[in-house]
Amino acid sequence: MIERDVVCPFCGCLCDDLELETEGGKIVKVQNGCSLAESTFMNDTRLPAPIRRTETGWEDISYNEAIKETAEILRDADRPLLYGWSSTHGEAQSIGVHIAELIGAVIDNTSTVCHGPSILAIQEVGHPGCTLGQVKNRADVIIYWGANPVEAHPRHMSRYTTYATGFFVPEARRERTVIVVDTRRTDTANIADEFVQIERGGDYAVFSALRAIVRGNASVIPRKVAGVSKEQLIRIAEICKKAKFGAIFFGLGLTMSRGKYKNIRNAIELTDELNRHTKFVISPLRGHGNVYGSNEVFTWMTGYPFAVDFARGIAFYNPGETTAVDILRRGECDAALIVASDPGANFPRAAAAHLAKIPTVVIDPHVNATTALSRIHIPCTAAGIDAAGTAYRMDGVPIRLKKVIDRGYPDDAEILKKIYDLLNGGMGP
Amino acid sequence: MKCILNTGRTVPQGASVEHKGSELYSTVASACFLNPVDMMMLGIENGDRVRVTTPAGHIVLTARPAEGVARGEIFVAIGPYANHIISSETHGTGMPDFKSQSVDVEPTEEPIKSVGELMEAIGGLRYDRT
Ligand code: SF4
Repeated sequence: MIERDVVCPFCGCLCDDLELETEGGKIVKVQNGCSLAESTFMNDTRLPAPIRRTETGWEDISYNEAIKETAEILRDADRPLLYGWSSTHGEAQSIGVHIAELIGAVIDNTSTVCHGPSILAIQEVGHPGCTLGQVKNRADVIIYWGANPVEAHPRHMSRYTTYATGFFVPEARRERTVIVVDTRRTDTANIADEFVQIERGGDYAVFSALRAIVRGNASVIPRKVAGVSKEQLIRIAEICKKAKFGAIFFGLGLTMSRGKYKNIRNAIELTDELNRHTKFVISPLRGHGNVYGSNEVFTWMTGYPFAVDFARGIAFYNPGETTAVDILRRGECDAALIVASDPGANFPRAAAAHLAKIPTVVIDPHVNATTALSRIHIPCTAAGIDAAGTAYRMDGVPIRLKKVIDRGYPDDAEILKKIYDLLNGGMGP
Repeated sequence: MKCILNTGRTVPQGASVEHKGSELYSTVASACFLNPVDMMMLGIENGDRVRVTTPAGHIVLTARPAEGVARGEIFVAIGPYANHIISSETHGTGMPDFKSQSVDVEPTEEPIKSVGELMEAIGGLRYDRT
């Protein structure tokens, strides 16, 4: 059977034009997707049943037992941490927030270690952004800054930028100028019309220099800024000012390096400056399929996009204090529920190590590094493969993920709902 | 040799990210990309192993040459190998220094650990029945 217009749940592009061929409840072919989509749909090895760690190894347990024990762990905890949420649908995320509120937990999502700093900057100076459709149809200057879409978002360029045919840019490759700014000559840089290689940690200075040039103060710029020549900076500023519609996409190269959210703030302020000459927008390249959705769901339910602490009975937000890495590093939480993510692999060792010291429960379709650190792992559906639900694309557009096959696993939203009910004396959220 | 550790996503890492127990994943996540000149200075060749040390610990990785990596830098895919040596300090932002950790790189004969071994080193127990 051929299933058309399937959404790929892997990265923030949420490409919705895939064609899947299924045969006897199995996906046998993936068309239109990139290699990441192919491995998402085709190599989908799951944990067969819930498992519990014993003194000597692992034992299989029933779903009911696993859910009951999880509820007990959360009920007994003084400072539980609920973390993850980026690879599942909004329906599961919202029950997660309800659980956090009910038991006074800290709930955080994976943006804390990807675009959390971008959100902090946006909270300071706003977000001059737009949907990817606008970029596709209008943008004639594209800047990738500290981002490597060839590796991390393989179809971003063919669907929305460099190679995408747009209404006002019919000859995409000829009419769009692509600028790549990075510390490394990446594969994305090799495609660029202009590659700007900056010294590590120099992003902030380069943004400031560009802002000065765009303002007409080129005379104050030294011969070189963070390894970039003044000539190149002036050339880039000119290309940007002459653009009909410019779009900056930035990645973890900005959020994770020195300056963190201040880099993004400066990037947004450069965008602001450019808008005095032409139309310019800026947006983060969000990583995981529905990480943007976790920010949306958290925000409409609690007022804050990540790192929400309900210990006081009200929502409290203080990144650096209520963020997952910090809570784990300080050894503060005494139980953890990890949903649809893998902090065991993605957090620095000292933070991950605390998960092994406390009762940690994982709800995730796949065995991952955190499994080894957990007490219980409950397998579930994977959103977009065997569960339908809402996800938000990196530009904030909600897209309905489809259920393509049935593999007999319970939906994570269902598991979470049961846990909620047990914690709330049988009353649902 | 003193270097700065940079981390990021790569296609092979992304394609095997849901199979962290696999050999493929461990090969991609434990590759350490260096500038070829730095490799020459260290006296190592493609496929040799390096020991990368920070105040948070040390890890053994496989050296791979990459022209795109600047001198004095190393690149490792996001994952448990890089995280084994990255400090959990976030400077009040929630975000660790995933792209600016200073490290010390030296040649070694020690073997590469598996993801399971890394997790067991911090109190975990690997599950390898799938
Ligand atoms: S670019 Fe992202 S969403 Fe699109 S097919 Fe590839 S992994 Fe899936």
